Amino acid sequence: MTSPAASLSAVRVPKWAFAVSLLGLIVTYLVLQENGLALGAGSELLHEFFHDGRHALGVPCH
Amino acid sequence: MTTTYKSIALRGVAAGAIAGVASALVQLLVTEIPIRAALAVEEARAPAGEEAGHSHGGEEELVSRGAQVVGGMLGVVIVGIAVGLVFATAYALSKRWFTDRTPFSRSFAFGAAVFGAVALLPWIKYPANPPAVGDPATVNHRTALYLGVVVAGLLIVWGASWLAAQLHAQSQPVRTTAVLLAVVAAAAVVLLAFPAPPDTVPADMPVNVLWQFRLSSLAQLATLYVGIGVVFGLLIDPAARRAKAPAKASRESTVA
Repeated sequence: MTSPAASLSAVRVPKWAFAVSLLGLIVTYLVLQENGLALGAGSELLHEFFHDGRHALGVPCH
Repeated sequence: MTTTYKSIALRGVAAGAIAGVASALVQLLVTEIPIRAALAVEEARAPAGEEAGHSHGGEEELVSRGAQVVGGMLGVVIVGIAVGLVFATAYALSKRWFTDRTPFSRSFAFGAAVFGAVALLPWIKYPANPPAVGDPATVNHRTALYLGVVVAGLLIVWGASWLAAQLHAQSQPVRTTAVLLAVVAAAAVVLLAFPAPPDTVPADMPVNVLWQFRLSSLAQLATLYVGIGVVFGLLIDPAARRAKAPAKASRESTVA
């Protein structure tokens, strides 16, 4: 016995949910894509620290 | 109950963390093997032409190899949590996505579709490359192309959902066939429209290391995205909780 999905579609999504999603996308960008565009010199350290993860998730890397 | 956005978002975070840890373990146990082999290729080439500002284990390294392994796994978990949050928000917003199915089926199908859009499609067009492959001078160009395919993939998923809703009057087999054909055609157009990868693979990179890495990367991406769909589905579907309750009760009674 399973409840219909319709009950979930009725969930009200507040405005701040979009800000939260944007934050999620920014975090993903910083970990996977940052090549110096947003953080400048600090990105080198970030890039090297997350290095293996960037390669492993198939993101273009150096 | 999963009736507020906040409760759904928290389940997305939990699903992302669990799938992220699973994907990080795949990285540690599987993907690191070809990464180590690729780093050996890079090191063998170092005396000839030292790359300035980018080290993977030289003397003037910015981050040690051990830290890169841990940092890489941590990065996968962070990305998992962030993607889980966005996944849950998109799920809560969806009005058309398999509305006649159970929450678990909807979430599983959504995870599989997101995997196809943001991982499999870019993987086919621009296959993942291990260290020692890739020209630093073209990284911004390659990143733009890669993100372009990701966006195109997400548009295909959105379009498929829209088309399925438009064909509501058709019988289910006709609708499924039409949507599948449209998805295949759209994916083919994307693969043909985007230019070939700008970089060539250097001759000193063994083909078996390259493909071991690429397949490991795909396995890890599948673990992350399909994992988020499955775990999020388990967390939001009331049927999963009802099935678990008696099992827990019986376990407690045997302990007592």
